[in-house]
Amino acid sequence: MSPRLRVALLALSGLALLPGAAAVIAGLPPFGATIAQYGERINAIAPDARHVANMVSAINFDLRGLDTLGEEFMLLAAITGTVVLLRGHRGEGNSGRAMRRAGRALIPRSEAVVLACRIAGPLTAVFGLYVVVHATVTPGGGFQGGVILASATLLIYLGEGYAGWRDAVRSHWLDALEGGGALLFALCGLGPMLMGAAFMQNVLPLGTFRDLFSGGLMLIENLGVALAVTGGFTQLFLEFMEETRATDEPEEPGEESA
Amino acid sequence: MSMLPYAVAAWLFGIGLYGIATSRNFIHLVGCLGICQSATYVLLLGLGYRWGSIAPIFYDHPPGTPAVDPVMQALVLTDIVVGATLTALLLVLTIQAYKRGGSLDPEILRPMRPGGQPDRGASRADDGERTAP
Amino acid sequence: MTASAAALLPLPVAIPLVVCAAMLATAHLLPGRLPDILATLAALAVAVLCAVIARHAAEHPLVYWFGGWEPHDGVHLGIGFSVDEASGWVAAFIGLLYAVTFVFAWGFFGRTHGHFHILMLLFLAAMVGFCFTRDMFNLFVWFEVMSVAAFALTAYHLEESALSGAINFTVINSLAGFLMLGGIGLIYARTGTLDFEGIAAAVARSGRDPVVAGAFCLVAAALMIKGAIVPFQFWLADAHAVAPSPVSVIFSGSMVSLGLFGLAKLSAVVFGGSDQLRHALPLLLTALGGGTALLGGWMALLQRHLKRMLAFSTISHAGIMLTGIGALSADGTGGMLVYLVGHGLVKGALFMVAGILLATRASIDEIALRGLGRGIGPAGIAMALAGLLLCGLPIGVLDQGTRLVQGALAQQGRGMALAAGAIGAALTGAAVLRAAGRIFLGLGPDPGDEAGAPSADEREKANRPLWLMLAPCCVLLALDVALPADLIEHAVPRAASAFLHRPAVAALAEGPAWLPWTSLTAALAGAGYGLFRRRLPALVVRPVSVTQSAPTRALEVLHSGLIGDYAAWLAVGVAVIAVVLGLA
Repeated sequence: MSPRLRVALLALSGLALLPGAAAVIAGLPPFGATIAQYGERINAIAPDARHVANMVSAINFDLRGLDTLGEEFMLLAAITGTVVLLRGHRGEGNSGRAMRRAGRALIPRSEAVVLACRIAGPLTAVFGLYVVVHATVTPGGGFQGGVILASATLLIYLGEGYAGWRDAVRSHWLDALEGGGALLFALCGLGPMLMGAAFMQNVLPLGTFRDLFSGGLMLIENLGVALAVTGGFTQLFLEFMEETRATDEPEEPGEESA
Repeated sequence: MSMLPYAVAAWLFGIGLYGIATSRNFIHLVGCLGICQSATYVLLLGLGYRWGSIAPIFYDHPPGTPAVDPVMQALVLTDIVVGATLTALLLVLTIQAYKRGGSLDPEILRPMRPGGQPDRGASRADDGERTAP
Repeated sequence: MTASAAALLPLPVAIPLVVCAAMLATAHLLPGRLPDILATLAALAVAVLCAVIARHAAEHPLVYWFGGWEPHDGVHLGIGFSVDEASGWVAAFIGLLYAVTFVFAWGFFGRTHGHFHILMLLFLAAMVGFCFTRDMFNLFVWFEVMSVAAFALTAYHLEESALSGAINFTVINSLAGFLMLGGIGLIYARTGTLDFEGIAAAVARSGRDPVVAGAFCLVAAALMIKGAIVPFQFWLADAHAVAPSPVSVIFSGSMVSLGLFGLAKLSAVVFGGSDQLRHALPLLLTALGGGTALLGGWMALLQRHLKRMLAFSTISHAGIMLTGIGALSADGTGGMLVYLVGHGLVKGALFMVAGILLATRASIDEIALRGLGRGIGPAGIAMALAGLLLCGLPIGVLDQGTRLVQGALAQQGRGMALAAGAIGAALTGAAVLRAAGRIFLGLGPDPGDEAGAPSADEREKANRPLWLMLAPCCVLLALDVALPADLIEHAVPRAASAFLHRPAVAALAEGPAWLPWTSLTAALAGAGYGLFRRRLPALVVRPVSVTQSAPTRALEVLHSGLIGDYAAWLAVGVAVIAVVLGLA
C-alpha cells in the first residue's frame, strides 16, 4: 500500500469516527465538575481504615494491590525479556571498555564531573530512599523511589568510568534484587492467607496517621517494590550500556550464544 | 472549554496513529507510540479532575478536604509503568533489528520475503547508512 | 465446602508468580534441568487447582475479594475474582497446555538461566488472572502482562524476520492496550466503578448512551486485535510464524482465543444490559467473524511456510469462534467455549509437529521439506489427523464445539456466517492436509500459487529425542479425540448459561449433521487439487488457477508486513465498529 493510500485510509476512518467521538465527548461529564463515587469513597474511608495520608499509595498497595502485583511482574517480564533479547552480538565480559566504536572519539572524564558525581551520587541515593520510605505519607513510593535509586547507580558510571561501574554492579546481584523484591511482594499476598485472612489483607498493626510507620503491610509491599524496581532498572541500564561496547569478533546469534 | 481535555486526548491518539502509519524510522515510531499513550494519560487524569480540589494526599490538609480522584492517579501510575516497559522492549527490538538488517526503516525490515529468498538489493546498504541514528 | 474452595482462587495466579520470582532471584545458581521441572510442576499445579475450582463453581460462581475488601452498600472498593464453571475449565485447559508445552520444550532453552521459563510462567499467571478477574482495570493489567511476556518470547530467535515480526506485534498490541485503557476510562467516568457487576447494573440503567457505546467500541477493538479479527489480524501471521515453536503453541492455542473469551465475557456480562449493543452485536460479530474465517482460510491455503500457514489457520478459526459469540445465545457462547478448548488442543499439536520438523529436518518450508518427513511417520499421522479434525472430522471436542456454533447460527438464520465458517474450516484443513501429503508422502511435485508465498528459513535446536517431542503432541490429540462427549454435553448448557449470567437452559441445539462431512469432503478435495494438479485435466486446472491468481495477489499485497499499513487498518477497524454501533 502506498503511503498516500495509507493516509487516505486513515483520514477516511478518522472522518467516520468523528461523529461518534463528538457524541462521546459531549456525553462525558463536564471537565472538573465532579469525581466518581469510587474515588470519593476511598478519599473518605482510607485515612481512617488504613491510617495512611497518601491515597494513591493506599490504592496501589492495599485496595487495588493486585493491580500493582501484576504491574510489578509486568516490569519483571520486560526486564527478563530485555536480558534475553540483548544476548549475543556484542562484547561480553568485564574487561573491555565501553563507548569504543569505530569513528567515535574517546573523551577523557573531567575532574569536575568526577567530583560532581561523587557528591550527587550519595545525595541521589538518600533522596531515593527518602521517597521510598515515605510512601504512605507524602507523594512517592517504591516505584518512584526505586527509579531514583537506580539512577544513582548510573552516576557511578558517570563518575568512576565503565570499569568502576561494572565492579560495583553485578548482574546476578541485580537478578537477586529484582526477583527477591517481587517474591517479597508476592509473599505479602500469600502470608496473610496462611493466617486465615484474604490474599494481601492488611493483618499488621496499622501505625499512626501521618507517621512513617503507618499502613501496616503496605510498608513491606512498598519495600518489595522498591527492591524490585531498583534491581530491575539498574539491570536495564546495564544491558543498554553493554550495547555501547564494540563486538570483539563477529559471532553467531541464537541458542549457542545464549 | 469543559470538553477540551477529552478532545485533546482524542487528537493525541489520532496524530500518534498518523505518525505510526507514516513513520520511516523505528525510533521515531516508538516516540509516536508514546504520543498515543499520552492520550490515555490525558483522558484518565482529565476524568479524575475536579476544580478546587487538592491532591489526594492528606498530609497538609485534613482528611475530608475535597480531593481529586485517587483511583485515576493510581491507574495512570500503572499506565506509566506499562509505557516504560513497552518503550524498553521496543528499543531492544529496534537495536537488534538494526544490527541484523542494517536499517531502521520499516519499509526495509519486513518480516518475510516472497519465496523464501531474501531480496536484498544494493539499495539496502545505502538506506541503512541514511537512516542510521 | 464452597467457602474453602473460594479461598483457592488467588493460588493459580500466585503460584506461577512466586515460582518465577524465586527462579529469577536464584537464576545463576539453578542447575540445568531444574527450571524445566519447576515450570512443568507449577503449570500442572495450576491446571489441577483450576479444575478443582471449576468443579466447585458448578453450583454457583465462586467470588473472592482481595485484601478482604468486600463491597459495602453496593460500592465495590477492592478487586474481586469471580469464577464460573466455564472460566474455571478454560483456565484449567490453559494450565494443562502449558504443562504439555514445557515437556515439549524440555531442554530447548537450556542456556538462558531459566529466563524462558520465567517469561512463560508470567504469561500463564496473566492468562489465569484474565480468566478469573471481575474488575475492568485488573483485566487490563493481565492483558498487558500477557502482551509484554509475549513480545519478548516472539523475538527469542533474534533473526531478522523474528525481530520485525515482534516489532509489528508489539506496536499493534500496545495500541490495543491503549484503546482498552481509553475504553475503561470512559466506562469509569459513566458508571463510577470498575467492577463488572457494578458496571453492568449502571449500564442497564443508562439506556441509549454514546459513552457506553464508545467504551464498548474501544474495549471490543482491543480484544479483537488480540483475537486477530479482520481487519486487525495482520500482526498474528508475522508473530506466530517467527516465534519459537513452543511459544507458537501457546500463542495459537490460548492467547488469541483468550482475547475472544474476554470479548464474550464483557459483551454478555458487562455490556449485556445495553439494548443498543444487543441490537448491533449479532450483525457486527457474525459479519466480522465470517469474513475472518474466509480470509484466514484462503490465506492459509496460499502459504508454504508451515508456521505461517498455521497462523492463518488460527485467524480463520478465531473468526469461527467470533460467529459463535455473535449468536449472543447460550448455544453460541457454549459452542465457542468448547471450540476454544478443542481448537487449542488441535492447533497446539500442529505447531508441535512444525517444531518437530524444525528440529529434526532443519526447515519449515513446505516445498523444501517435500518427502523429507518419511523417517518420522508418527508425526505425519499426527499432522494428518489434526488436519482432518480441523476441517470437521466428526469426533472429539473440536467437532462438538463446531456443531454447537453451527446449531446456534442455524437457529438464528445466519446462513452466511454458517457457510463462511464451514468454508473457512475446509480451507484450513485443505492447507494442512496438502502440507502433510507433500512433506510426509512426497506427493505434489508441482507447487501452485503457494510457491510465491513469503518464507524464511530457520532452525531450532535438535537436542531432544523424537519421542519427547512427539509424546506431548499425541497427548493433545488424544485429549481432543477421547474426552467423553456426554460429559461435555452434560456440562455445557449449565456452564454456558452461568457464563452469560442467564437462567440455565436444558439442552443446546446442534447444527446439521451433514455439514462437518461437507467441510471434510471439501478439504480433501482442496488438498487433492493442491497435490495432484498436474494429473488433473487442464479443463479443471485452468479455470481454477485463473480465479485464484488475482485475489491471491491482492491479498499478498495487503499482508505487506508494513507496520504503517497495519496501523491504518486498525483505524479502519475501529471506525467500522463505531459506525455499526452508531447506526444501531
